[in-house]
Amino acid sequence: MTGAPLPEPAASPTATEEGVPSTARPPQPRWRQTLVLLARNPTAAVAGTVLLLIVLTAVFDEAIAPTGPNEIAVEDRLQPPSLAHPFGTDDLGRDILSRVILGAAVSLRVGFLAVTFALVVGALIGLLAGYYGRWVDDVLMRFMDILFAFPAVLLAIAVLAVRGPGAGNTALAIGIVYVPVFARVTRASVLGVREDVYVRASRSVGASDWRLLTRHVLPNAAPPIIVQTSISLAFAVLAEAALSFLGLGTQPPNPSWGLMLAEGRGFIDLAWWLAFFPGMAIFLTVLCFNLLGDGLRDVLDPRQRTLMAGSGR
Amino acid sequence: MSVIVFGLVQLVPGDPIRLALGTRFDQETYDALLARSGLDQPLVQQYVTWAGRALTGDLGVSFRSGETVTSLIGERLPATLTLAFASILVALLIAVPLGTLSALRPRSVVDRVATVLSQIGISVPEFWMAIVLILVFAGTLGWLPSGGYVPLTEDPGGWAQRLLLPAVVTGVVSGSVITRFVRSSVLEALGADHVRTAQAKGLPGRQVFTWHVLRNALLPLVTVTGVQLAYLLSGVVVVEIVFAWPGLGQLALQAVQSRDYPVLQGAILLFAVVFLLINLVVDLLYTAIDPRIRR
Amino acid sequence: MSAPLLEVEDLRVRLRTPRGPAEVVNGLSYTVGRGETVAVVGESGSGKSVSVLALLGLLPARVATVTGSARLDGEDLLTMSPERLREVRGPGVGMVFQDPMTSLNPVLTIGRQLVEGIRAHGEVSKAAAREQAAGLLAEVGLPDPQRALDRYPHELSGGMRQRVVIAIALSNNPALLIADEATTALDVTVQAQILDLVAELQSEHGTGVIWITHDLGVVAGIADRVLVMYGGRCVEDGTVDDVLERPAHPYTRGLLGALPDLAQVGDGELATVPGVPPAPTDLPPGCVFWPRCPVRSDPRCETEQPPLAVVGTSGGTLPHRAATWCEEGSPR
Repeated sequence: MTGAPLPEPAASPTATEEGVPSTARPPQPRWRQTLVLLARNPTAAVAGTVLLLIVLTAVFDEAIAPTGPNEIAVEDRLQPPSLAHPFGTDDLGRDILSRVILGAAVSLRVGFLAVTFALVVGALIGLLAGYYGRWVDDVLMRFMDILFAFPAVLLAIAVLAVRGPGAGNTALAIGIVYVPVFARVTRASVLGVREDVYVRASRSVGASDWRLLTRHVLPNAAPPIIVQTSISLAFAVLAEAALSFLGLGTQPPNPSWGLMLAEGRGFIDLAWWLAFFPGMAIFLTVLCFNLLGDGLRDVLDPRQRTLMAGSGR
Repeated sequence: MSVIVFGLVQLVPGDPIRLALGTRFDQETYDALLARSGLDQPLVQQYVTWAGRALTGDLGVSFRSGETVTSLIGERLPATLTLAFASILVALLIAVPLGTLSALRPRSVVDRVATVLSQIGISVPEFWMAIVLILVFAGTLGWLPSGGYVPLTEDPGGWAQRLLLPAVVTGVVSGSVITRFVRSSVLEALGADHVRTAQAKGLPGRQVFTWHVLRNALLPLVTVTGVQLAYLLSGVVVVEIVFAWPGLGQLALQAVQSRDYPVLQGAILLFAVVFLLINLVVDLLYTAIDPRIRR
Repeated sequence: MSAPLLEVEDLRVRLRTPRGPAEVVNGLSYTVGRGETVAVVGESGSGKSVSVLALLGLLPARVATVTGSARLDGEDLLTMSPERLREVRGPGVGMVFQDPMTSLNPVLTIGRQLVEGIRAHGEVSKAAAREQAAGLLAEVGLPDPQRALDRYPHELSGGMRQRVVIAIALSNNPALLIADEATTALDVTVQAQILDLVAELQSEHGTGVIWITHDLGVVAGIADRVLVMYGGRCVEDGTVDDVLERPAHPYTRGLLGALPDLAQVGDGELATVPGVPPAPTDLPPGCVFWPRCPVRSDPRCETEQPPLAVVGTSGGTLPHRAATWCEEGSPR
């Protein structure tokens, strides 16, 4: 976010010499340029900064939180927001601010794990399907279609029913739901670049499949995948909250935003702050991931190959 | 598809019959129930039996309540259908005008407000919105009941009152998603060359807009609405729970919690069928409104 | 000659683009008489299409600023009320667009698209409008016009679609017909049919025609006058004979350069001139053609915009004008 000048577009020399169509991006990642462009988009820049703060809060949770998340102080129960407890206290006298901060760690960890899983498995499937085509493509994508056809929440519930509740299984459940999305996006990108001149050129000089995939195809598929990652993170956080809210995700006494909401629901008439602050935390995090995703799309993927935010919901 | 439904549910750990019997456990009843439910058979045979019966509409008997799954689902279906269709109505009522307005004046105040609102709608956890709405309208203001369901035929007023909040919650979320699609598809339709042809013919502006812009923007809208409807029919578990809405989502969740295989299988199978049905309807609608697809 | 049908004076179009304002049309003036055909030639990006779209108010108002005047039968198209402009579109000016694949609405039948145009300009019953539409389709040479009315654009070939677009433009007997690359997509025989049709219409109704084209064969075949555009300006105009046989502007000469013998223009395309047209966001200060000009004989070329001045009246009754400092090769 400095005023660094825009670096020259890193056009690969071979690409220009061989007159590669403009759809082919050079294989080097242009993350600096992306950052600069992103910083110029005020919404995305603010969203990115807020997210950074949320992530930092989650990383240094124990150091930041005023009290332990599970410190019970019955004499302080259901206190409204005050200087001592900015977000108030819950029915067991636990400090809600501390629980929201610790909850950030839980929610984000599950979200990142889920998306990482979806990304790795989905991108791998998409790469294989898109690159090898034919029956590999048919089999893999048909399977993805079936998986995609299942209602997301229900699929996650079913996975949790199989594996039992808990943070790890929640991440797995959400991850499985998003595998087809990443597979599709990756496959589409791969199909787009597979026949590009430099891939054919590399193949003709005898480069191995693996080398082609990692050196040429993958970097070109990266922009839409990055956008998809940001948007999926939004929904992973939302889904984790929903599953925990239903009692299938994170288990008490661990603080997770969804779980806190479920616990606060019973006291909504008495003490609104129990449900309000964790809900606000979910909302803010999801909003920022969505806005960042939209900003990234504008910068990285002007042709809008990725799904619009919300379409996975 | 049915194999996956079946396989998925078989993986649920725990012994459903032991769970169903609870404290009344004795070996003799257990064996009898095991035999009757067919759970002592090999898995493949269980599947064949289940799939065969499912084709004839027999989805088995609930472990928990002993009712047939078909009747359990039949009881819950009207509530879920009501909520889904009310929600999609709310969603379209929000999305079509808002999306169209923003597309007509891109980067205007209306457009910016609509963009912000739809971002908020997409990002807000629906169960949280549900809780807040209950607090305001059922708690503080006391205008509406906080949840529950009565059939339309018994008490139309009460039916509408109870439907309003859940329909608004899910409708706002879906509507936010649809708004963005409406905006982009109207924008795209506005930029099409044939709109210029229509203008050059000297058609009145309203006619150009209705028949050469909206008519064309309708095509993608049908798809998105179908996807959203499928989602609403299946994915509103959380909202059903918060509003004590006796729909299929609630049934499915209870089935998971009590390891009630036949009910869970039935519910998931039904969702899958609904999904396919909606896709079929979307395809049919598409054929009706897009001559290019007709053969 | 009486007052011209269309009188365009100092037409300027400025577009707002992400890269700053673009001066796409810079002070264009010309006239079209009744029954006259004016051909507008130039490379893509020279402002030809924009200049005619501006006449009918078909540029998006958010990004385009149009100034100057364009009087059709004495009435200024650029300042008239939107409702009056709507009335003029169709009976006053008919327009044929470039791309037959996209200029028809894919979800409405051909008949409907014709009928709505007819009915927008007069009390005509649906049945009568349909009859009229079928007649128009027959006129533009569409086989089986009655059946074609119930077809959708995708069921017709590109050439057939373009005939439909032309039929739509002709459906209200326009006083002025503007054709933007109307026959580029058609094969030669169909093109000839269409050109004949337009000629017939002209002699019958005295229709004025603006024909934007790349095709010198069309220019030589139908045009009375030629207007050469470059960088949003008219760089040369005059009768067909003057401009094609005695081109005065280096740009025009470049365009004609690949044609050693003008007797062979029959199936010729315009030649390509080395280099690219200037970006309308960044026009050179002097002669717009200077950066690509092979001649550059005058010191003023680089600094001063040459006015459109008469270079000779040899061939016809109309003045032959060119905007160049270049004297060499002028017919004087």
